[in-house]
Amino acid sequence: MSDKMNPDPFDALKSGQVPPAGDAARRRALAAGMAAFAAEQQKSTAPTKGDGFGARLRSIITSLKGNSIMDLRYPLGTAAVALLLLPLGYQLYSTTALTPGGAKPAKTVAATPVVPIPADDAPAITTADLAVAQQDKEEATTEADASVPVVAAEPAPLPLPVAPSPAENIAVSSAAIAPQRMQESMAPAAKMMAGAPSPTTLVSPMDALSGDSFASFDEQRLKVVAEEPVSTFSIDVDTASYSYVRRALEDGYMPEPDAVRIEEMVNYFPYDYPAATSADAPFKPTMAVFPTPWNPKTELLQIGIKGYVPPADGVHKPSNLVFLIDTSGSMDEADKLPLLKRAFGLLVDQLGDEDTVSIVAYAGSAGVVLEPTKAAQKARILSALDDLAAGGGTAGAEGIELAYRLAEEAKVADGTNRVILATDGDFNVGIDDPERLKDFIAAKRQSGVTLSVLGFGRGNLDDATMQALAQNGNGNASYISSFREAQKVLVEELGGTLDMIAKDVKIQIEFNPAVVSEYRLIGYETRMLNREDFNNDAVDAGDVGAGTTVTALYEITPVGAGGGLVDPLRYGGVESAAQAGDATEIGFLKMRYKLPDSDVSQLIEAPVTPDLVYGDIADVGDDMRFAAAVAAFGQKLKGSVYGGSMDWSDIAALAQSAKGADEGGYRAEFVGLVKTASLLKPDAHDGGAADCSGENCATD
Amino acid sequence: MGLTAAGAEEAGEALTRALVVRAQNGDAEAFGELLADQYDRIYRTAWKWCGNRSDAEDVAQDVCVKLGSVIAQFDGRSAFSSWVFRITLNMVRDMQRAGKRRGRHADAYAELAPDSQRPEQEDGLAHQALWDAVRRLPEQQRDAVLLVYAEDMSHAAAAEIMGIKEATVSFHVHQARKTLRGLL
Repeated sequence: MSDKMNPDPFDALKSGQVPPAGDAARRRALAAGMAAFAAEQQKSTAPTKGDGFGARLRSIITSLKGNSIMDLRYPLGTAAVALLLLPLGYQLYSTTALTPGGAKPAKTVAATPVVPIPADDAPAITTADLAVAQQDKEEATTEADASVPVVAAEPAPLPLPVAPSPAENIAVSSAAIAPQRMQESMAPAAKMMAGAPSPTTLVSPMDALSGDSFASFDEQRLKVVAEEPVSTFSIDVDTASYSYVRRALEDGYMPEPDAVRIEEMVNYFPYDYPAATSADAPFKPTMAVFPTPWNPKTELLQIGIKGYVPPADGVHKPSNLVFLIDTSGSMDEADKLPLLKRAFGLLVDQLGDEDTVSIVAYAGSAGVVLEPTKAAQKARILSALDDLAAGGGTAGAEGIELAYRLAEEAKVADGTNRVILATDGDFNVGIDDPERLKDFIAAKRQSGVTLSVLGFGRGNLDDATMQALAQNGNGNASYISSFREAQKVLVEELGGTLDMIAKDVKIQIEFNPAVVSEYRLIGYETRMLNREDFNNDAVDAGDVGAGTTVTALYEITPVGAGGGLVDPLRYGGVESAAQAGDATEIGFLKMRYKLPDSDVSQLIEAPVTPDLVYGDIADVGDDMRFAAAVAAFGQKLKGSVYGGSMDWSDIAALAQSAKGADEGGYRAEFVGLVKTASLLKPDAHDGGAADCSGENCATD
Repeated sequence: MGLTAAGAEEAGEALTRALVVRAQNGDAEAFGELLADQYDRIYRTAWKWCGNRSDAEDVAQDVCVKLGSVIAQFDGRSAFSSWVFRITLNMVRDMQRAGKRRGRHADAYAELAPDSQRPEQEDGLAHQALWDAVRRLPEQQRDAVLLVYAEDMSHAAAAEIMGIKEATVSFHVHQARKTLRGLL
């Protein structure tokens, strides 16, 4: 059967000993199988046969015969064990991960039910859910009291097990204390219940403990032009948020609101803005004003810029890349290290012969994996990548210093020198203090070595640190959820990733109080700058790569449109509106940027004139409408107090109408994603007032 | 494989067949017997693929549930055991691809209560390294190697389970050997 030439090492596999399965597990599995079988029979046979037949099948445990409910000891036992272990495990996890900024950012525990619950089906489940806090409190508490034992997803009245053991008592009482936990721990039990003949309602466990951390931030608030006419922010070319949100939705649950950064979602998509023509003025703004799809009384001001694309036939700027790769044990999952290897393989394929690649591993197998090597020796680079293996402890410091040292060694004078950090969230690269790490990276940036961060996997992802490091390193942060995403980031957008054409790009816009009464920047919460930072060249801001598009959206309320949310001041009548410039101008845009090798910023200015205004959203270009749809989607996912009222179907229709050529298929994918979200969290029609309980209700 | 062993196997196969037919006709007791009969094999297979007990038990349970709902669809074109094998491998794959969330919690438990008792053998370490390396192979290579060696199947039988050609199985095994050359 095997080669006879020499002893086949694989033969050793034959002697593999398998430890026996646990008895409990075995019984549980058999019971679950039987339940599924019974359910299947029920489905396929005539209903008359079901009852007498089903009664015999409900339990294979003789002592429980006659109990009309499935044997409950296992689900409850599992629940009890999970109740003990889950908090411990979580505690262990949260104390071992490096937390950014000393203090742990507030974790959002979203308790949105994922599976729609028919109203008449199981009120107990909905009341058990935390989301109920928003609903009628009194009703909720009484119902919860009355139905605590029903938490186990059984709408039918539930007789207690025949001979309650102490363990059961514990499980039941703790279920009363922590119904939410209970639901989570029900996941294995769910399988058993799934087959039960009675209509079971299972709330699929929201990933409250997803393990990924996001910096929490408040949504941009509405501003009154008369008080704050100037809005300043740094551009953001990251796209990590969209990939993360997409992955969450595809896995079947709503992302945490803090994971949704609208500007990153909007900027994920390529837009066809006219590009600048020379490297000296590397971009020019494209603007339009059109009606807001989610609010008839306001308008959207869209500002789009596209980075200059150097001619392809020009001299290839040499790149010097150092891959700094996390090889801690947690990377040992199909969507982490293996995906990372393939992703970097793609990147290496894109490089020219003169480019240099080095590889440093940290955590696990730490150290220099590959000394600086010309990309002409692709085979050597790829085999070094292939040899990377995850595992071992997370010791192994100096990773980052080592990486920067290699980058300095192989530094190219007028090209890209970049460290690319790939991790699933372990940032123990040798500098423990996140602040010092940021300073270190910022200092290295001054010497010309930049840093990009690629995030992998889910469960450990530390989004806030990722963002912070990439921002300090003048690079970008991307989240690689799949091979397709790797292709987008590392092949299609390689130019934008590696070839920076302008740095520290800031946008400042001043609104004309005679035309605009209120405005609100959509997204960019984490990128706001002070008004005075705009002209201060020492203040760091976002960077634009070749061909990158960046889009910003303002929702503006025209004066006199009746859409104002803030009442005018009683004593605010003394206006000095007659300033320089045209009184009909909507606002004035200023952008500052630095050329890659300069420390002095340049200024681009453009007025927002009335001829940019479109009366109907159908008249504006596909790009504009699509960006608006993405923004609406992001706001709805976040539960925005301003723009969350648009229906999923309207968002999908708007995006569908704006698909355009859609070369990469990204827009079609987006439409699909909106539909997925609509299934996970259907629009509440008729009873729509439920979302609108607080004073934040923006509708009239 | 002696004649007697083969004979016993055939008898077992016939019994299994009878149970399958009865179960397909809706006989729950027959299905219960069938499950009890198959569970250990399913679990053992799952263990070989996953390498730890909690995952293997999860997979085995999933397979039991799956069997309960799809037993009627078994058409007898292949041996029942290969059919179960296919379901088991699919479950393993599904779990490993998508079950990251659940897997993580399971890992958290494992840190507290390690239940993945390592096989205690004289060549413990080297052996373990081999198993780990094989489990880390690309899916197809891993399946081929484990089916042929750990499950002691012919290339043809493995091919049937994997739904590919016999030559492809040999190729995957060959690739696996090449991949693991440094280790073996």
